[in-house]
Amino acid sequence: MIFVGIIVTFLGFLISVASLGITASTGGRLGLVIVGIATSLVGIMGILNQAYLKIAIWKK
Amino acid sequence: MKKLFLAFAIVWCLALLNTAQGQTPAPAAAPAAPAEAAAAAPAAPSPVPITDADVKGVAAPDPKDLAKGDPGGSMTGTVTDVVVSDTKKGLTIGDLVNQAGQNRIAINFVWTLVAGFLVMFMQAGFAIVETGLCRAKNANHTMMMNFMVYGVGMLAYWLIGFAIQMGGVGAVGNLGGTATLNAEQTIHLFGKDLGLWGKNGYFLMHHGTYDVAVMVMFLFQMVFMDTALTIVTGSAAERWKYAAFLISSFVIGAFTYPLFGNWAWGGGWLATLGSNFGLGHGYADFAGSGVVHAVGGLTALAVSMIVGPRIGKYTRQGKANAIPGHDLMIVLTGCFILAFGWFGFNPGSTLGASGNGNLRIGSIAVNTMLAGMAGSFGAMFYMWLRYSKPDASMTGNGLLAGLVAITAPSGFVNPVCSVIIGLIAGVLVCISVEFVDRVLKVDDPVGAISVHGANGLWGVISVGLFADGKSNYGGSWGGVPGSVTGLFYGDAGQLVAQLLGVATLIGCIFTLSFVANLVIDWFVGQRVAAKAELEGLDIPEMGALCYPEFVLKMDTASVD
Repeated sequence: MIFVGIIVTFLGFLISVASLGITASTGGRLGLVIVGIATSLVGIMGILNQAYLKIAIWKK
Repeated sequence: MKKLFLAFAIVWCLALLNTAQGQTPAPAAAPAAPAEAAAAAPAAPSPVPITDADVKGVAAPDPKDLAKGDPGGSMTGTVTDVVVSDTKKGLTIGDLVNQAGQNRIAINFVWTLVAGFLVMFMQAGFAIVETGLCRAKNANHTMMMNFMVYGVGMLAYWLIGFAIQMGGVGAVGNLGGTATLNAEQTIHLFGKDLGLWGKNGYFLMHHGTYDVAVMVMFLFQMVFMDTALTIVTGSAAERWKYAAFLISSFVIGAFTYPLFGNWAWGGGWLATLGSNFGLGHGYADFAGSGVVHAVGGLTALAVSMIVGPRIGKYTRQGKANAIPGHDLMIVLTGCFILAFGWFGFNPGSTLGASGNGNLRIGSIAVNTMLAGMAGSFGAMFYMWLRYSKPDASMTGNGLLAGLVAITAPSGFVNPVCSVIIGLIAGVLVCISVEFVDRVLKVDDPVGAISVHGANGLWGVISVGLFADGKSNYGGSWGGVPGSVTGLFYGDAGQLVAQLLGVATLIGCIFTLSFVANLVIDWFVGQRVAAKAELEGLDIPEMGALCYPEFVLKMDTASVD
């Protein structure tokens, strides 16, 4: 799950950068960058952090 | 009552913003037409050529007068102090012109260096803030991390990091050129050459970088880099293995920080988003809300997740326990030291005080002060309303949050917007601390993730909103003519550039930091043994107590 979290987080960055080549419109780029940021946040908070919470020291 | 206060705060912010935008004064009444036609204006005099002979005729102070002393200073600093290139020819116009150029660069060197010295002193501020917010049994360890992060970071940056970050930055006019920093690795993407990392400057000797201007640039950039590194020590304090800290700090100083630093400040792809893709003036980060604070804060998040929370921080049900620090006095004193050092951090980022709009240093310093002040008020009143008491440590963190948030926009905004940015930062840091602590359940003893990570990102975004287009640093920024302008002043493209920076920080830099620290965890181990943690890290890790004459409270296993 940690590996998946890393991939999803980085994927968000790639989506944001891809906006530069996909569209020339400011609005389109804005939308894609926001999608990219949201994807990265899902990777960090939704996947990576949850994976570490499962093995947290206070659960042992 | 709370809703009324919140409504008042929102209305006040909107009113401030409206005031900041609508500054056009009413035109003065047109004067009455004169009864008689005015006489024709006299022709402008023809320019009078100045020759070397004119310069030679400038009188120098009489040596007999000088021998009596010069208490008023009127005879000190005269024509005799101008450097003459050829004593046989004497003073020439060329000498005067060269002296003017050297004076400008000397002013800029001194300004940048003194500002860098102030930023270096922030290490002391961070050290005592973090140590004060930790328990006494870990004070030696926490102080040593903050002490040695200075050396480790400098070593990494001197060996490798500076070259990666600034090796291809090109000429920096304020410092006389830095002509040797001219090799940038690029990638051809989307039809443009995008800068990735620099290639000149390893050991400050490589490819002609043993240069006076490069030395100034190195010192200034190095102290900024160390600020990012020291942020991480706070969030992982009280359970981070000292050896792991050394390795992690070296890696960040050598690779992670300089990489984003190149993209933002070294001529890399983020800085050229404006000239390459028409997004405003490219990613604009005047003094480093993103480059320094967000990089540090997000790395802190990565390390804190890997290291895990302190024993006793959470119950078995996941409820967060407060673990108070041992000395609030040094926490708030440290905040003052940081606020003082920030006068070097933000105004110093002009890299000069002469030419190219650098007289804006006063405006930048005032913006910095105002945002810090507003941040402290925002945090204090938030905590007062929420918990019925003004919390000292959060008020200090509010000051820091305001300072972090204004760091990126400080060179581009007006005082009213600085207050708005700081006020939001003060409230944001409180909300973020609660979110990280209670929702994410990531343990951060000093609030570094919220102060630097969350507010670093807020600072980056605020450039894209509040930059007013009134600054002028040589007529252009990021290779695009004109001044940096945010959404509220008419340029949505700037906001997109800033958000791309945010996406890079969250998606790329966090990932790199996380993977690097994961590898360190596999090979070295990041966390100390439970027994050492409960005893306090001073003896197991450092071999000596910070307070050997005090009786310290030792925790037993305290889950539930």
